[in-house]
Amino acid sequence: MLSLNWNLLFTIINLIVLYLLMKKFLIGPVTGIMEKRKALIEDGLANADKANKDAQKMKQQYEDSLQNARQESERIMTTAKAEAKNEYNRIVEEAGEKAGKLLSGAQATIEAERAQTVKELQTEIAGLAMTAAKKIVNESGNDAVYDLFLSDVNAGDSTKSNGLEGDGSEDSDHR
Amino acid sequence: MEELNCETVFKIPLFGGIGVSESTVVTWIIIAALTILSIIFVRNLKVENPGKIQLALESLFGWLQDFFDGIMGENGRRYVPYMITVILYIAVANLIGLLGFKPPTKDMNVTAGLAIMSIVLVEFAAIRARGTKGWLKKFMEPMAVVLPINILELFTRPLSLCMRLFGNVLGSFVIMELIKMLVPLLVPIPFNCYFDIFDGLIQAYVFVFLTALYVGEAVE
Repeated sequence: MLSLNWNLLFTIINLIVLYLLMKKFLIGPVTGIMEKRKALIEDGLANADKANKDAQKMKQQYEDSLQNARQESERIMTTAKAEAKNEYNRIVEEAGEKAGKLLSGAQATIEAERAQTVKELQTEIAGLAMTAAKKIVNESGNDAVYDLFLSDVNAGDSTKSNGLEGDGSEDSDHR
Repeated sequence: MEELNCETVFKIPLFGGIGVSESTVVTWIIIAALTILSIIFVRNLKVENPGKIQLALESLFGWLQDFFDGIMGENGRRYVPYMITVILYIAVANLIGLLGFKPPTKDMNVTAGLAIMSIVLVEFAAIRARGTKGWLKKFMEPMAVVLPINILELFTRPLSLCMRLFGNVLGSFVIMELIKMLVPLLVPIPFNCYFDIFDGLIQAYVFVFLTALYVGEAVE
């Protein structure tokens, strides 16, 4: 029991054999499978991380493009508004001009017509007056009319000679 | 007293007969049993959807690896398989008394062999980690005066390992035999639980714990 003998050596050999057997049949496979699982999990985590990052990137891109589109639409809207306003202004101005032109044209026409009418009327009135005068002359006899006419002329002459005292001689020379 | 003796089972007819003792034969049985069980348990390991046996095995291994990693650190990782082997062997050897065998650890040849292997491993690890020069220099640290003590430690460490295991197992074995002689019925059960199971596992734990501690110190 307390003596050391060959069995010490046997024990050491046994231990080494047991170590090799355990390493081959127990520790190796179990550690291997645990390592494999660890690698698998790490792989999965890395993959998930990558996918997450990709999704984030895609979201960023999407947001960027959305932002761009919004800006673009805003820009288009502003341009369209400005153009529409310009067009509106132009049309209104044109319409105003046209209306003004039409108005002035109409006024000129009206003026011309009025003048025409006045002239016609004057002619008519003169005609009427002549007729009236003829009628009067015929009725009251020529002598009286001549007298009247002459008296009228004289009166007018005297006033005229009064007004043109300075060059009366010249006048007579001309005549 | 015949229970205390380690009987010689047979003799190898060499050098005038080498006696192969009971402890060696039981160790062979243990080796065979452990190998066969390993093959059975490891047969269908799966990376995904592990079975209950695999889960138990893996959690046991995870615990053992964490335990030894914590003691020996990064540099001692290569010695973990040996530690696992030794703790398995000592645990089974201490518990095999339950099956009616004589525990091999009751034979001092076995514990001495284990202790010699431990100290060889410790010194090997030290040489590997520091080189021969560094290993020799370590004997004079922290100062030259402690040189004899450090050299003495080369022998006291395995001796204490060997004797602790041997004494504990032998002591519990003797007490169990005495109790069995006095009251053969029922009474031995709680004592059996304590001396064979609890003490056996504690001694296995202590042995590998100390060995790992020495290795960790050597490779540090």
